[in-house]
Amino acid sequence: MVISFEDARATYQRIAGNIAKVMRGQSGSTRYLLAALASGGHVLLEDFPGTGKTTLAKALARSIDARFKRIQFTPDLLPSDIVGVSIFNQRDQQFHFHEGPVFTDVLLADEINRASPRTQSALLEAMGESQVSVEGERRSLSQMFFVMATQNPVEFRGTYPLPEAQMDRFAMQFTLGYVAPSEEVAILTAQEHNHPLEFLAPCASVGEVLALKEAVENIRVSPELKRYAVDIVSATREANGVQLGASPRASIALMKTAQALALFDGRDYVTPEQIQSLAAPVVAHRLVLEPKARFSGVTAQGIVEEILKKLKVPA
Amino acid sequence: MFWGWQSGLGMAGIIMAAILEGAPFVRTRWDLQDTDFERIWNFCTLLSLTVLIYAFSSNEEGGSFGGLFHGAEALHNATATTSRTASAFLRWLPLVFLMMIVSQLYSVRQRVPLTAVSLWLRRRKRREMKSGQAMTPFGSINLTYPYFVTCLFSAGIHPREFNDASRFYFVGQAALIAWALWRFRSRRFGNVLWCLAMPTAIAAGFAGQYGVWQLQGVIAGYNAQWMERLFRGQTDPRKSMTAIGEIGQLQFSTRIAVRLRTPPGQPPPAYLRQASYDNYRREVWFAGRARDEFARVPEVNQTTYVLVGGKTNTATVNIACYLNGWDQELGNPQGLVPLPTGCGRLENMYAYELQKNPEGALLADGARLLIFDADYGPGGTMDMPPGAGGSDPDLSVPTNEVPVLKQVMAENGLEGESEGQTLQNVRRFFARRFTYTLWQRPPASQRTNETPLARFLLRTHRGHCEYFATATVLLLRQMGIPARYAVGYLVPDRGRGGSYLVRDCDAHAWCLAWDANKKQWEDFDTTPFSALNAMDLLPPWQWMADMLSNGAFEFSKYRLALQRRDWRAYLLLALIPALAFLLYRILFRHGRKQQWRKMPRPVENLAWPGLDSEFYALERKLAERGAARGAGEPLAQWIEHVLRDPTPEDFRGTLRRALELHYRHRFDPNGLTALERRQLAQEAGAGLERLAELNGRHSG
Repeated sequence: MVISFEDARATYQRIAGNIAKVMRGQSGSTRYLLAALASGGHVLLEDFPGTGKTTLAKALARSIDARFKRIQFTPDLLPSDIVGVSIFNQRDQQFHFHEGPVFTDVLLADEINRASPRTQSALLEAMGESQVSVEGERRSLSQMFFVMATQNPVEFRGTYPLPEAQMDRFAMQFTLGYVAPSEEVAILTAQEHNHPLEFLAPCASVGEVLALKEAVENIRVSPELKRYAVDIVSATREANGVQLGASPRASIALMKTAQALALFDGRDYVTPEQIQSLAAPVVAHRLVLEPKARFSGVTAQGIVEEILKKLKVPA
Repeated sequence: MFWGWQSGLGMAGIIMAAILEGAPFVRTRWDLQDTDFERIWNFCTLLSLTVLIYAFSSNEEGGSFGGLFHGAEALHNATATTSRTASAFLRWLPLVFLMMIVSQLYSVRQRVPLTAVSLWLRRRKRREMKSGQAMTPFGSINLTYPYFVTCLFSAGIHPREFNDASRFYFVGQAALIAWALWRFRSRRFGNVLWCLAMPTAIAAGFAGQYGVWQLQGVIAGYNAQWMERLFRGQTDPRKSMTAIGEIGQLQFSTRIAVRLRTPPGQPPPAYLRQASYDNYRREVWFAGRARDEFARVPEVNQTTYVLVGGKTNTATVNIACYLNGWDQELGNPQGLVPLPTGCGRLENMYAYELQKNPEGALLADGARLLIFDADYGPGGTMDMPPGAGGSDPDLSVPTNEVPVLKQVMAENGLEGESEGQTLQNVRRFFARRFTYTLWQRPPASQRTNETPLARFLLRTHRGHCEYFATATVLLLRQMGIPARYAVGYLVPDRGRGGSYLVRDCDAHAWCLAWDANKKQWEDFDTTPFSALNAMDLLPPWQWMADMLSNGAFEFSKYRLALQRRDWRAYLLLALIPALAFLLYRILFRHGRKQQWRKMPRPVENLAWPGLDSEFYALERKLAERGAARGAGEPLAQWIEHVLRDPTPEDFRGTLRRALELHYRHRFDPNGLTALERRQLAQEAGAGLERLAELNGRHSG
């Protein structure tokens, strides 16, 4: 199914508008989230409890009319709880595979850093290759398989930081943050009687989302801007205070999400602005800082912003 | 040139200016590698060290290169202080680092790698090369700015206090800095405003400087009063404050005060006397006679002084001591010289002036370190005989001490039949009943009118050398024997190879008794000797302190020797081969010269499409109006920033349309059609016109 540029953009605007009914004052975050969805990446939301991470995920799932599953990560969660397990049926004397929650369109991995690293890693293959291997058998996942993971900041008790390999599988990490007081009042008003989420009607089909993804792939990127994205990522490998810089996977994600953002902006080619605005959410969470730098208050985000400021932007 | 004019090296300044400013006109460039820069830097550093050593050893007036190899003048100039050395060195700095700056200006690279300048970075680089790691890219530095500052700074240091040129220094320096800043002026403000602001800043700077100078004058006035007190710490020929009556432990440092060297097989003198005193009042000894002014000691030739004429000196000792005081009038170090008893003649004495007083104290003006040979022997001393000045101060006893002295004399039967007998008795009296200690207990009960000396003689029987010497002098005087109180050092008999170290803790006080038969003063020390060994207890880390002290001493000696014998020329000659070798390594590497050509920029950057856009001209014009675009600021964001200022609506539209087309031209791989390309040129042109119009209206 090939859809025109305008149709794809309309799909985006419908979904964004639908989500905005529930998520007030979060249009920037919604844009990032949809950019990740449209470019086939996964998203990690890191924020304090109660800022609307789960609501955002649910709103997205409902807006698309897609299958939605949610896993609440706990320390005793096992990999089989995610990918599924074969159970012996005594009646027909055979093993039957029971699909785990990973076989869905939109997966919400709530508080992903509460599970042990072993369980966290169960998602690696699913996120990287959109397939799982269970008992030696390869099973493909849904075509629009999209993971939204949330986590509380690592300083909180009873959490395991995600392994670097897992972090790298997420196209983006960003925070929702607290909204302005007036927006918060509006949220209270909206929920006075019941939650607006309950009345959210689907506005796009899975097919439309897949078409959107295809349209994003057709957005043009000039070699110069590809080079700019690569320069940003490779600068993180040489930056002071960084132990492990970002991988080429980061450059790929940066380009793809920038394509999506260009489409949202109504352009059929990428401009430097889109790359710049995405650099921090796409690159920062992949950096491993030196302990010394971390304790002296340097943040990965700060490093990326510094690089953006210093690196000559194509103009 | 400014530097040359100011520092009196005019010719050198002109040549340097010609070399440096000639760089843009000369086509030939050197192809210098990192290692070459490192070598040149090494060379410059070595050269600066040489100049520093040279300046230090000569204290020479900068600018007079003619006097480079004349040593006689140098001795005279040794009076100059270290500040003059430093100023000479700083004045030569631009010359020393000329090579470095020339290498930068005439090299292909136009910048000097940081690894050349920093030893630490250089070592890191070498380590990385050895371990085969990926090289950390090190930055490079443009040395012209530091060099400019150095030149200005050096020009500010004038060879003479008052120089015609120095009056123009401030003006010249201000003009040069203004010229340097002109290139970096902000484009936001007009040139007229800048021209007004600069003199204001200069005037404010001048006013501030003048204020500080005035303030310094005021503070210096206060300063002089209490600074004077600080210089009382040294041995004073006129009075000696004793620690008699003080309670607690006396503390002495183990610093080396005097170094003695005797010919082989000859023992050192037992005492080194610095001064003697004849009046005792309230725990203070004075050499207080009104006419006791110091008299100049005439020299026989430049370095030999005769203190006591017509005397055969049987022994000789080489003494090295420090002059701890300061002559306020002449600005020299000044101090009392420790001399062996019966010293008659001084040789190899490089002092500016020697003065002596009737109590046998010798005051010297000279360099901080004084090294000389003292010839001495039994017989006459340079002290004045007793009673020469009418009423005899050498027999006077303070009245409040008389009853105690009489009591002690009567109880112990000190008075003998002859003088010799008396001295014997006194010595035995102190040796049997008294002990030496540096520790004084607080008195159990304070009796009124009891002097500390009385307490020592009658009750405690414990004290240090000042107690013993003072008590002895007063006792002898009470019994009719003229006596004086002497201060100096006791030479310890620990020593190796004829050299002895006398420390601050070897300071001693003893008594001089007049021998009426021989008509001369004799040392008479009643301090119990066994006790003196207590001073031998040196802390275990003393050898380290001594090593440092000896190092400093050897260096000072070397400096003195340099001044005297004009070895500086040899020093320079010795360094020339090393410098020449370094220079050779820098200059004659094969294939160094290279025809200068414009460095091509990296090909990659040129390959991007759309760099011919007319929008750039518009951007430049806009940047001249306000804030320029930062390196990391995208065009669209910047344009929105610029448009935040009040701008006519049509101009906004033009700008946005032009930007849109420009972006597509640059970043859309499909590019623009021929029509759109023309449109971009048109929009940009329109924007430029509108901008000129707006500017005209603005300034009109």
